[in-house]
Amino acid sequence: MTCPQVQTNLSLYLYGELEFAQEEAIERHLESCAFCQLALTREKEWHASLNAERQDVSLELLADCRGDLRTALRSERGQGWLSGPWSRLLSQRFSPTRRSLRLATASFLVLAGFAGARLMDSGLLPMISASGTVNRMGLLDTAHAQVRDIQPNGQDGVRIVVDQMQQHEVTGKLDDTLVRQLLLSAMQDSADPGVRVDSVEILQHQTSPDVRDALLNSARNDLNAAVRIKALQGLAQFPSDLAIRAALEYILKHDSSAAVRSEAIDILLPLQAPGSVVSPDVLTTLQDILRSQQQDTYVRSRSQQVVAAAEATRIY
Amino acid sequence: MATSVDTLGRVAVNGVQDRSNETTLIKAAQSGDAEAFEQLVRSYDQSVLRMAMNLLRSPEDARDVYQEAFLRVFRKLPQFRFDCSFSTWLYRIVANLCLDQLRKRKVRKEEASSLETASGEMDRFQFLPEQRADVDPQRQLFSSEVSSRVNSVLETLTPRERLVFEMRHYQGMRLRAIGESLGVTEEAAKNCLFRATQKMRAALGDFL
Repeated sequence: MTCPQVQTNLSLYLYGELEFAQEEAIERHLESCAFCQLALTREKEWHASLNAERQDVSLELLADCRGDLRTALRSERGQGWLSGPWSRLLSQRFSPTRRSLRLATASFLVLAGFAGARLMDSGLLPMISASGTVNRMGLLDTAHAQVRDIQPNGQDGVRIVVDQMQQHEVTGKLDDTLVRQLLLSAMQDSADPGVRVDSVEILQHQTSPDVRDALLNSARNDLNAAVRIKALQGLAQFPSDLAIRAALEYILKHDSSAAVRSEAIDILLPLQAPGSVVSPDVLTTLQDILRSQQQDTYVRSRSQQVVAAAEATRIY
Repeated sequence: MATSVDTLGRVAVNGVQDRSNETTLIKAAQSGDAEAFEQLVRSYDQSVLRMAMNLLRSPEDARDVYQEAFLRVFRKLPQFRFDCSFSTWLYRIVANLCLDQLRKRKVRKEEASSLETASGEMDRFQFLPEQRADVDPQRQLFSSEVSSRVNSVLETLTPRERLVFEMRHYQGMRLRAIGESLGVTEEAAKNCLFRATQKMRAALGDFL
């Protein structure tokens, strides 16, 4: 394989999307070509820089989407009595979009405002208090409620569907499935870095495969350095796991935070049994760091010590 | 206990059991069980929203894609015959909706450097990821330069290249699954990804 052929295929190589023979050929070439090794490093760098561009989804947006969908589905189910071509025609032409529902809601609220003001003046509106809470029902607090659907109900009535955000409290042990799923979900999906740190901290002493995978993902991909450090601390309990060692080496070379890189080297080096020879892949990583422009004093000095010790014990 | 990562990059403990749970859910939803449908939505909706948000970079458009995608799933679910996996089927719908949006944008030649938000249109650079406290100012400047280049080059990709790149790089889907979702061969998806990464490399490779 020539250098241009290797370099044009580096992205597919990193994605693991090349055929076995092509991958082998690239690896053989990389072993002896410093120029392509440099190209691979650059390729990894721009791949990593793209990860920082990922748009995160806020929980508020997700909750809004779920609310919109629930309303739309309710309306779809309400058309159940229609069937055949009429149903299809209506579902295509008049399926209520979020915008149309919003418009309808807004129109209703304007009308309700006028009507309400008139009724308030005449003292005919006993159910709604000044704070906007429907006291007689004792259920709704408008600060946490959102009108989702409005339908006429009889001649004078109206049926209003309201979504109300509800908090639930879940207590249990870490081996409880629900508790565990909630923590894993919070670790991966919460928009709040504080919640992610807490969930990692609570799970970091667990050794089950789902926790190990989630920690690995957080250590490599979380946007917040504190979460990545906590996840790394959790990974320290898997000393013989090759995938974790590879991830530690990657983080050591590519993470943008000096604190995370320092944590990674502290975890990676104790993985070697005292007095034993450092494995060749770790040694290569440390040598790469010493050759690179990385300025972390701590990481460089630890790498220097290990590389020097390995060279001193080398048998010629 | 077996652990696996599916085509969307989600970790599944005991994949066989998960698949059978999903099949049970789909069958229940097909027979009108609203709760089963909601559970099905919840297993995928974060990925769907993240993908739409990442591709369209507009919360409003992402919300529209989210709603339309799951409404289509709801309407067509009775005809789903398990010829492909549910995720492939769902992502085919999401991909087509996102492609439509991206193509419409190309026609409208929308302003690329702004985002729609609840409080109006705002500069995209205000939404760059948080800078880490331990990074020096020179590094911060460098990061924002990289950000700006990444956004510019993403705008130059064709809608299909953008979609394939998003599905592979950010969603972690394999090319085979991407091909199935887009109704093209794995080879065609690979060529598309290849073109996208060539453009990205040309724009970013020398800079980094």
